[in-house]
Amino acid sequence: MPRILAMLAVCSGILFTTVPIAAHHSFEAEYDRSQKVTLKGTVTKIEWQNPHVYYYVDVPDANGTVVNWAIEVGAPNGLYRAGWRKDSLKIGDKVTVEAFRAKAGGPHANGNSVILANGKRVFNGTADPTAN
Amino acid sequence: MSIKTSLLASVCAVALVSAIGASPVAGQAKPARPAAAPPDLTGLWDGAPGGNTRDLAKYMKSQGLTIPFTPSGAERYKNVDMAKNPNAYCLPPGPSRALTGPSPFMIVQHKDVVSFNFENHGVYRIIYLDGRGHPADIADYLQFMGHSTGKWEGDTLVVDTVGINDRTWLDSYGLEHSDKLHLTERFQKTGPDTIKYTVTYDDPVFFTKPWTASLNFARQKDRLMEYVCTDNEKDRANLVPTPREP
Repeated sequence: MPRILAMLAVCSGILFTTVPIAAHHSFEAEYDRSQKVTLKGTVTKIEWQNPHVYYYVDVPDANGTVVNWAIEVGAPNGLYRAGWRKDSLKIGDKVTVEAFRAKAGGPHANGNSVILANGKRVFNGTADPTAN
Repeated sequence: MSIKTSLLASVCAVALVSAIGASPVAGQAKPARPAAAPPDLTGLWDGAPGGNTRDLAKYMKSQGLTIPFTPSGAERYKNVDMAKNPNAYCLPPGPSRALTGPSPFMIVQHKDVVSFNFENHGVYRIIYLDGRGHPADIADYLQFMGHSTGKWEGDTLVVDTVGINDRTWLDSYGLEHSDKLHLTERFQKTGPDTIKYTVTYDDPVFFTKPWTASLNFARQKDRLMEYVCTDNEKDRANLVPTPREP
């Protein structure tokens, strides 16, 4: 029985955390699905606000020059229902971001997932409820 | 006669009088049974899992059908610019997209009116059930969410909507319409926590004949939250003209 309950908890977690978060704009009009980037850096700011949550990450390039990337994720209501909270990601967190670049160019992308230094996924992450 | 016997006799007498009063008198018609009260749709709802009406062309394909476009409607659909999604400009979603898209809504039901309160953009729909018609001049005063009247047919609320301006999309994938759009929607309470929603789109400018989509709503346990599109909006400046992905 405990095993069944644990399985149910995991399965519901999977469903819970993979709820699609709708954008108020058409994704394809702002971002390019063919340009996926992986960014490693430090969180500098989190904007938990309508119509979309943004967070910012300082990412050093190959020459050591630091570029501050803006990462868009879902709307706060959808993220909240999916289990994310204002403090799921904190300033100073070392993160690896998987994202799709903006068509307009620049250091701007739509976040697909964020992995903390300890391996936990937050924001668009998968079935790890402890990441919240 | 003891007190107990007297009491029993009184109760029997009352019961007998009531029974006689309730019996039909020969030659008189039975009183009509009152109509069953309509179900109560009040509550927080959202699309049930498995719905696929965000992209209505794909939905129709899943049903083995296609949207019956007029030639000009097909041309408009083929050439739509996804950057012009009205949602991106924080405009109201329109009466049916507010229901076929993914976002919760609160129904509050009264005998003369039903109110739909949408989390998405904080917009609402009012369905008048008091027998009124549409305003005679509604075509001159179009609205994003149209004008709706309704009536109960058994367990189903049937809603008639006109007066919708042509600035909304019917789905999230560029399905436009004209201001001749006429919607007929049916909300059937299929269980304590489920509603079957059916919408028929009739628009002689875009479609050769009316066509229908359907999905289920499931009762939600949490609360209606705020979604304010115009607050801190920063995406619009980054939109790039983009055709619909195949």
